[in-house]
This record gives sequence, C-alpha cells and structure tokens, in this order.
Amino acid sequence: MTDRTQKTLKLRGPIFIILILSLFYPVKFSAPLLAADDSGELTVLTKQIIESSSGKELYKPFEELRIFYFKKNQYNEFIELLKSLAEEKKELMPFVDYYTALTRYQQLLHLENTKSWDEYFGSGSLYRQEIEEKAQSTIAQLASTDPLSIYARLLLWKFHHHQQDAQRVSSLDSLMNAILEYPPGATYLLPLKEVADELSSAGEKTKARKIYDLYVKYMVASDTKEEELKQTAAGFYQEGNLNLAQAIYDAYIDKIEDSRPKEELVPILINIARDFSYKDKIPCDPFYAEKIFKKLGEVGAKNVFDEELIYLRAFNLEKIKEFSRAKDIYALLTERFSRSKFSEEALFKMGVISAYIMRDIDSAKKYFEELAQRKNKNTHKIQSLYQLGLLSQWQQDEAKAKIYYDKLLESAGKGFPETSALAKKRLKELEETKPLDYDLRTFMDASLKEENNLFDVTKVALNSSLYRIEKDTGVTISAATFGLESGSLPTAVQYSWSGDLGSAKPSMDAATFQTTYTEPGTKIINVVALSPSGIIDRSIDIIDVY
Amino acid sequence: MRSGLNKQGHKVIKSQGHKLKATGRRWILLAACSLFFLFFLLGLTSRPKPRVYIRTLKNKHYQLIVEGKPYIVKGVCYNPIPIGESHEYDWWSDKNKPWIVDGKLMQEMGINTIRIYSCGENPEDVKRVMRDLYELYNIRVIVGHWVGLWNYPCPSYGDKEFQQKITKEVLEVVELYKDEPGVLMWVLGNENNYSCLGRVRPWSTEKIDNEPDPQTQIFMRAKIYYSFINELTKKIHEVDPDHPVALGNGELMLLDVANQFCQDIDAVACIIYRGKSFGNLFNSLRTTFDKPIVLTEFGADAYNAYDKKEDEGMQAFFLESQWRHIYENLANEEGAGNCLGGTSFEWSDEWWKHNESDPEGWNIHDTESFWGQGSYYIDAKAGKNINEEWFGIVALSEELENGLNKRTPRKSYYVIKEFWRNPKLKKDDK
Repeated sequence: MTDRTQKTLKLRGPIFIILILSLFYPVKFSAPLLAADDSGELTVLTKQIIESSSGKELYKPFEELRIFYFKKNQYNEFIELLKSLAEEKKELMPFVDYYTALTRYQQLLHLENTKSWDEYFGSGSLYRQEIEEKAQSTIAQLASTDPLSIYARLLLWKFHHHQQDAQRVSSLDSLMNAILEYPPGATYLLPLKEVADELSSAGEKTKARKIYDLYVKYMVASDTKEEELKQTAAGFYQEGNLNLAQAIYDAYIDKIEDSRPKEELVPILINIARDFSYKDKIPCDPFYAEKIFKKLGEVGAKNVFDEELIYLRAFNLEKIKEFSRAKDIYALLTERFSRSKFSEEALFKMGVISAYIMRDIDSAKKYFEELAQRKNKNTHKIQSLYQLGLLSQWQQDEAKAKIYYDKLLESAGKGFPETSALAKKRLKELEETKPLDYDLRTFMDASLKEENNLFDVTKVALNSSLYRIEKDTGVTISAATFGLESGSLPTAVQYSWSGDLGSAKPSMDAATFQTTYTEPGTKIINVVALSPSGIIDRSIDIIDVY
Repeated sequence: MRSGLNKQGHKVIKSQGHKLKATGRRWILLAACSLFFLFFLLGLTSRPKPRVYIRTLKNKHYQLIVEGKPYIVKGVCYNPIPIGESHEYDWWSDKNKPWIVDGKLMQEMGINTIRIYSCGENPEDVKRVMRDLYELYNIRVIVGHWVGLWNYPCPSYGDKEFQQKITKEVLEVVELYKDEPGVLMWVLGNENNYSCLGRVRPWSTEKIDNEPDPQTQIFMRAKIYYSFINELTKKIHEVDPDHPVALGNGELMLLDVANQFCQDIDAVACIIYRGKSFGNLFNSLRTTFDKPIVLTEFGADAYNAYDKKEDEGMQAFFLESQWRHIYENLANEEGAGNCLGGTSFEWSDEWWKHNESDPEGWNIHDTESFWGQGSYYIDAKAGKNINEEWFGIVALSEELENGLNKRTPRKSYYVIKEFWRNPKLKKDDK
C-alpha cells in the first residue's frame, strides 16, 4: 500500500473502508470495523446517505444509523463514522453536526447513568463544548424553520435544561421562536409534536400546550376530516399523551359544535368526559373532564345528566379536592334522584364536606340525621351515627353522643366491625370521662372551630394511591406539606393521624403509611400537620371501599 | 481721613476700602479653597483603597478585589472536628494543628479561602490559625458570626437588649481580627432568615403576636431582622472599612424585604442546596436584591442513600456541576455576573452530627439520612437522601497520622482541582 493510499484511508476513516468493501461485498462483509454489522445494514445506510440527492432523503438513514449505534452505546464509533461522512460529502455537514451534538448529549447521559465517572470527568467538558458548537453550527447552516434546525434547537434546550445552566431560558426562547415561525401551510408537522412532547415531559406544560395547539391548528387547516381528528385524539389518549389528545379533542369539538345536532353532540361529549374522569391506575385528567362536563351544560344538555353521570362528575370533583363544588353536585344528585343507588354515599359525603371542609356542623348533622333515620341497615347509616356521636362528643354533649353510639352498636349488631370498634372506643372515653382522643380532637378543633379558619386545607396535601378499593386491598396514604422551606435546618414536621385508618397505626413521624380495610363504606382519613411552632394545616381524604 | 469727609465721600471711601478688603478676602478664600481642593485631591489619590472591596464593572457585573487584584472565592467551609468529638470541640487550640495539614492539601487543590462559622474563644489561637493559613498557604478566611441564632432561648431580634448584646459581640470580633491580613470578609448569620418564617428557632414580639395575618407576621419579623443587620453593617463599616460585610441567608428567602431594609450590606452570602446547579438563583437575585453573591454553603454528600454505600463519584458529579454554574456567573462571564465565588460544604466529614447528644455516636460514621432533597437525584429514590456526616471532600479515618485523623481526599477533591486549573476547557487545550 502506498503512503498516499494509507493517508487517504486514515483521513477518510471508516466510511472509506465501508465503501471500498461494499464494492466487493455488496450486501454482507466481515471487516473488523463492522464486526457488529451482521446484516450489512451499515453499508446500505451509508450508501444511501452518500448517494442522497436531497436533504429530505437523509433523515431516515441518519436516524437508523443513530439507532444502530445508540443501541450498543457505541458513541465514539458513531462520531468517527460521522466525521468520515462529512469528509466524503460536504453537503452532509448540517446532519453530521446535528448528529455529532446529539451523540455527545446521549453519551453524557449514558456516562452519568452508568456512573462511568472517569470518562465523564475526563471528557465531559469537551463533549459539552461539542454539543454547543455542533448544534449551533447546524442552526447557522439552515433556515430557522428547517426541521433539522428545530431539532438542533430542541437539543440545545434539552442540553441546557439538563445542565440547569444559564442558557436554559434563552435556549427555550430560541426554540419557541423558531416553532412559532413554522410555516402555517406546512404538512410535515412531526417536529412540532416531538418538540411539544419533549417540553411536556420536562414539565413545560404551558409551552407544550401552545405547540400542541399550533400542531392541531395546522392539522385542522390541512382539511383533516372530523372522524380522523377524533380517531387521532383517541389514539393519543390511548398512548397516554393526554395534553395532545385534549388539544385535538378541543379542535374536534369546535369543528362539530355547530354542525352536529345536539343529540349527536351530547353523547360524544359524554364519552370524552367519561374517558378523562378520575380513575385509579388509568391515565386521566379530572380537570379536563370537568371542563367537558361544563361544556355539556353550556350546550343546553343538562337533562342528559342521569344519576350515573352526575355521580361521576361529583366524584371527579371530589378527587381533585374541589370539595365545595363536589358537595353541590352530590346535592343535585340527591334532589333529582333521591332513590339513586348513589344517594346514601352522596348524603354521607355531603355531611363530611359540610363538617370538615366547610365548618358547617348544622348542615352536616342534617345530612347525617337523614341517613341515620333510614330504615335499611347499611354502611353509610352506621357511619352517620358514628359521625353524629362524634360531633356531639366534640361539642361536649356527652349524653347525646352516647345515644348515637349506642344506637350505632344496636343497629350494627355483629356487622360493621371497624365502625363498631371506633364507637366502642368513644363510648369508653365517655364512660371513663376522658377527653376525646388527642389526634381526633386536634383534627376536629382545627377543622370546626371558627378561629382556626386559617387552616384552610391548602398547606397540606393528602393523597391515596387508590380511591376505590375492595376490602383487604392494600392502599398507601401520603401527606405532604407546602411552604416549609428551612434550608439545611429541616423543619421537623409531624403528622397527627385520625379517622378511618384501617389496619394501620401510623406514628406522628410517618408522612406515609399503608393500610387495609375490612369493612365496606366511605372512609374518612384525617391529618393535622404540625411544626415546632404549631399547626401548619389539616386535611381530609376520602376512600370508598366495596 | 475718615473724620474730614462728607457723608457720601465717607461712604465712598468706606465702600472702596470695603471693596479692597472684600477683594483681598476673596483671593484668600480662593487660595484656601484651591489649597483645600488640592489637599482633597491629594487625599483622594493617596488614600489607599480598601484591602478587600467589591467593584461594580461597566457591565454592572460585580468583582471582588483583594489587594488590588480580582479574586475568585475558591473555598470550603472549614470545621475540622476530629472523630469522637462534637461541635463543642475547640479545634483552634488543637495542639496537633489540623489546619497545617489541611492547609497544605487545600493549597495543592487550589483552595484560596476557608469559611468559618464563628471564631474560637481564645483570640490568640484564632489569630495563629489565620496567620498560619495565610502565611504558609496564602489561604484567606471568611469570618462568620451566628448573630445569636443558636442562643438559648431562641433569638429575639425584636428585643433591643438582645440587639445590643449581639452588636457588642460582633464588633468585638471585628475589632479583634480586622487587621489580620488573612481576613477576607465578614458574614453575618447563616440561615437566620428562616427564623422569621417561624419554622426554625422561632421568635416573636407582642406586636407581631397581635397581628392576625401570618404573612404580615413574617414580613414584620423580616423587617426587624434585616433592619438590625443593616445597623450592624453600618457599625462594622465604621470600625473596619477594609472588608466587605455579607448577609448570611438561606436561599433567597425574604430578600425582597432585605432589599427595603438592608441596603448597606455589601454582599449576600447564600446557603443553597439545589442539586446539580443553582437554577435561576443568580438572575433572580438581580431582580430581588441586586447585590453580589458569594455561595457560602452548597455541595453534596458522598454517601449514596439508595445504594447504601459511599459514592465519591456522585459527590464529585454534583460539585463539579455546581462549580461550573458558579463560574458561568462570575464577572465578565455569560451569566448574571454577580457571583464572587463560593465555599462548598465542606472540607472534612463530621462524625458527630447524627445523635449529637450521644458521645458514643461521635465515633460512628453514621449512614442514616437527615433530610430529603429530590434535586440530588442520583439517590433521591431513597426519600431521605442527605447524609450530613458525609459532606467532606476529604474523608477522615480512625487511623492517626501525627495525632490527627488521617485525611483521604475524595474524588471531588481531584475533580474540582482539575476544574479550577482549567475551568474553560477549549478543544485546543485538551
């Protein structure tokens, strides 16, 4: 081999070898360099790239090359190949630069995830510099609305976002500006969706929604059929991309609102509302569901709210802690469907919300009394008797409290073991003239006394892993406090738990606990968060056990 | 002459005489003014600049100037408590002189500053440490004062007597050490602002107690606290014009109030634990309280609470990223240009921190996490993932060397050393 040949080989690197070898082994070859390339995939892809006549043809082979190398974490090898490609054909520079930057970004993530610290600290600065320079170079070579330029801006933002550095904001602005300049007549809309997806998963929900709206606007403008829109929205819902599904549903509803008769429109809205309403373990967006419920009202379809739909709406509101609105809808349910299978649960929850959220003991008692007077023996009647006893005991009307507890035990007989146990505990307190259990009293004082109205359920979040469970199913309940910044002097927050705690006896230091329930019914979990300087706030959560 | 002249003549003569006198006086006055102005100018030019001061550049960036030269604070918090001792141990008087061993290691790493939270009881010991570090290793000291945060009972910044007591204490420290060549600046308080929120070391006044709105209560406390710090700063400036005074503050919390009542402070000394970077801290400070900032506490621990083992790489990863962010925001860099540098927490591990009241625990390198901080995401799955006993960039072992626990630099020591050596790596430099 002559010096010149050696020099050429050295300069051109892997791509030269691939191309030369491909002359002799068009489909398959076994050069050491391509040992991993059993199918000749690399040869085919690099040939496609070299022989491409337009930029559009380059996306697919470059992307496939990227997948090929990334799958094996062969980042440096990919960079070498990219360099060779650039030397072979200068027109490839924007792609080569972009993929070089993308590779270094992925490589840094890989080094971080695998804790390959020696390479991370040894070459990290160099890689970071390459990401910045190569992505900027791509942008400089292309029009701002070129898809590859958009991807380069997206990469820069992802890089700075991950670095959490000073350019995080400016890189996002640059990306958004390029996106907003995207030509309205464009049919290639994938970059918009991909940018929005990335922003959405990084928590930039507002900006993501703005791009999704743009994406949908262009999609609708390109004469997409109504049914196609609906199917696309449903598809994104199934994928779990709720933001995009909502944007397309909104466009779809706008499109059909005036053209479809009410009897066709209403079932469509109902289905969308059902899909997005709160469900355990299934992607949902109760806030969007409520928006559609409101829309149903606006289109004059109030009479289509049957008992199930009203209950669904109230339950949905209850899960997003819109307790006051939930109570109003439960009230609507009991007014319009007094014999509904949901009416007892609705009445009980109205009582709970009246007492422990709205500090309205009189109304609460009215709802609990209504349930207590019912002749059939059911869990909500038993629980209402307990609540009536409890409220009386807190109001220091011990005689009345005893009457309710006794009546509860008489009605419960051998059933309702959990509620009966609570009633017996309270009766024991009354018999021994002991004060109400400390945790329960703390919660009731914070929730019912007017002077404590600063405790407005906004500073403690109380959540359950599941809200509709069968008996003996494990459930995790967690409390978290807001606005307790104290730097490296952590505030010692304690949690005073009370109410229906099931099998668990959480300590005051526990912000989270697991429990099970042996008795069906509506379980009310109470918490009061305390710091060394006193009560922070209190909250309730409601779980339905079947 | 005066008697033979008519009234008018007399007047004329008198007037002329007066005019002459006035002209003469004017010359004298002019000469005096010129002389005064000359002396003033001479005074201005000959008066030495403060030994340490903060310069505002034309681009509004802030730069720390020490002995006439720009100075980036490359430091660590320093509290060399030996294994088996607690925070009450007076290391200043340690006959084994840990600062000599540590200072050498620090100098090799590139550290030019240590931050101490408070001075030892014996001024001679303190001066000896400061002089050793400065003279042997060219390391300067950021001198802190707790400003009564840990007083028992809780601090009462609304009480004039308490304020006077603290003022006296602080001024004594300034008087004692202001002429030490190794002193870099004074830091008042640490995270004392959190006490205004009522969550830690809570304090109040009757007036505050009578205020029903909790937000107004917080504002009232902050106003009292920052006004007090401002007065204290003015007094320090009178005693010592040669060193800046910084406000120790947890995060940027309540600095909007400081902006109203604490304008005499020279810089903010923030305690920040936000994981791999400081987020929008520097820009945010520009809009809330536009003062230079020195990060007097930040860092990462070297114990992976999720893997339940020491993880030097994890610590180095966070520290390197934090230092990169600091450097981006120094004067004349691409960021906010208001950062003067930082002192990471901390030089060496402190084994006493868990169960600090139990002397047996002081001999155990405890692995139980103290608090949780999700932004330290590598071991965040553990929930509580911050291990206070493992923050040292130098580990201690029970093995003794010259009477001191053996020091073993962790990976972060070498990574940060390399970063400081070449913070702006260009391809060609590699």
